[in-house]
Amino acid sequence: MSALIEVNNLCKAFGDKQALNNVSFDVNKGQTVALVGPNGAGKTTLFSILCGYLVPSSGAVNIMGKQLGDPALFGQLSALPQDATLDPRFSLQKQLNFYGRLQGLNKQKANMETSRVLELVGLADNHHAKIAELSHGMKKRVCIAQALIGSPRIVLLDEATAGLDPLNAREIRHVIASLSEDITFILSSHDLAELEKLCDHVLYLNQGQLTTHNRDTKQGTSQYLTLTLIHDSRDTLEQIKQLSGVLHVSQSQNKEYIIEYQSHFEQFDIHLLKYCHKLNWQYRQLVNGHTLENQLFQKDK
Amino acid sequence: MSIFRVWQLAQFELTRLFATKRGLLALGAFAMVWFMIQNYLIAQAVPFLSSPEFADITGQLAGNIGLRELVSWPEAELAVFWIIALYSFPAFSLFVCSDQTVGDRLRGTLRFISLRCTREEILVGRFLGQLFIIAILIFLTVLATFILMIYRDLNLLGSGALLSVTVTAQLILIVMPFIALMSLLNLITSSSRLSVVLAILLFTLGNALISYLSYYLPILSWLLYVYPGVQILDVAPQHSFSLIDWLLPVAQTMGLLTLSILTFKRRSL
Repeated sequence: MSALIEVNNLCKAFGDKQALNNVSFDVNKGQTVALVGPNGAGKTTLFSILCGYLVPSSGAVNIMGKQLGDPALFGQLSALPQDATLDPRFSLQKQLNFYGRLQGLNKQKANMETSRVLELVGLADNHHAKIAELSHGMKKRVCIAQALIGSPRIVLLDEATAGLDPLNAREIRHVIASLSEDITFILSSHDLAELEKLCDHVLYLNQGQLTTHNRDTKQGTSQYLTLTLIHDSRDTLEQIKQLSGVLHVSQSQNKEYIIEYQSHFEQFDIHLLKYCHKLNWQYRQLVNGHTLENQLFQKDK
Repeated sequence: MSIFRVWQLAQFELTRLFATKRGLLALGAFAMVWFMIQNYLIAQAVPFLSSPEFADITGQLAGNIGLRELVSWPEAELAVFWIIALYSFPAFSLFVCSDQTVGDRLRGTLRFISLRCTREEILVGRFLGQLFIIAILIFLTVLATFILMIYRDLNLLGSGALLSVTVTAQLILIVMPFIALMSLLNLITSSSRLSVVLAILLFTLGNALISYLSYYLPILSWLLYVYPGVQILDVAPQHSFSLIDWLLPVAQTMGLLTLSILTFKRRSL
């Protein structure tokens, strides 16, 4: 796979505070990448460097074979920056048209793109509205819309669904999922369930240091399933261990079990569900592999 | 640098004045102020300047302040306009052009724009947009003065038209470095109001400080040439043409814009 984004030994310091410390990673074409980490971990700093808003202290960033700020990236790399908003004096249509024109579209195409992206985020009736007339969630959606103008190949979304109501957040997730075949998304969010649905690769930042996690479920000769039950008992763990093919079981949290099984065991998931049915267990969720939360915070288990 | 993107940015600036409620209100206020100037200052002063009875007195008065050439212009309206515009437009442009990037930077709008054009293009585009706005306003005021003048004496149509074009071009050259200065100040302050305050301090305290220090160290007086408008006193009388006086604002503009670009490139957005 060809790397769309290559980051090598990236460092950024604000005074004495090291916001990013030797961060290196690659993002390949077609991947949907989650950038997670606690508050102050350096996520927005990393986003800002990738977008060219901040100059790194050291290290190299290569995007589609180009240096940061290369005009060839205009229209190819777009972003939803955190806390950025449009000019309150102009209508959405005027500003989105203007962005389209800056990306080299002609007037007619820019107009069409504006309509397309506003419709994509559910704001088709708000062409002539000004940003101050919109709710917080609608403002966010407009900012997402501007990131989708034209044919971007990489879109960075910083907290895209933060502050959105569940329905709109779902719509945005749907938009991201539907475009992820053509666009490489990098998403930052605190909603691990959301990232779990959308992302196949995880970058975990903590205190400026990065660890990467591939969401591939297969590790050597074993594979993993995460089973969440509606009710469990003291014996549940032992009962799962007795299932044929199981190598190891651990309880990650209340009613949630991580099951390691032999990778050559065919249709183990069906085998497990039949076992649940036989024991009259009702399950809430069955995840192929580890949940993102466990992957990030319970690696040792 | 892409000319297309610079042009798009400059065009968008024009719509701030001509296609927003706030811009149109400002335009209305500007028109009213100039209506008063035309009606109560220029129109009232012209009879004195062009009257043979007062020719000696006005000639002597103007001569004392180095403006003898101006009072001898048959296009008296343009002469009065020139003196008023020469001092008012630079000050006016400091206020009008006080928000070239700072508002968008604080709001985050520049982040959207910087994903679509280089920082140089943003600065140059915004500068050109503001320059177009001021140039249009200068042109409109010159046109109003010209109409007032030919209403008084239609024989001045030809010479007045030529003089109007000259005065417009001269005023545009004079305001250029003031706009470029605001472009720079926008990058080092956190609001348009602070940019104006800093500009006022530069032109008052800064100027006084340099003048004071150059009394002891004369070489420092060269620093005054960094200041936009340093040549205004020399060009006001219009008695001779000095290329330096007209190259200086161009050089100052280029210098200030270069400094702005270097500052902007290092700035976080």
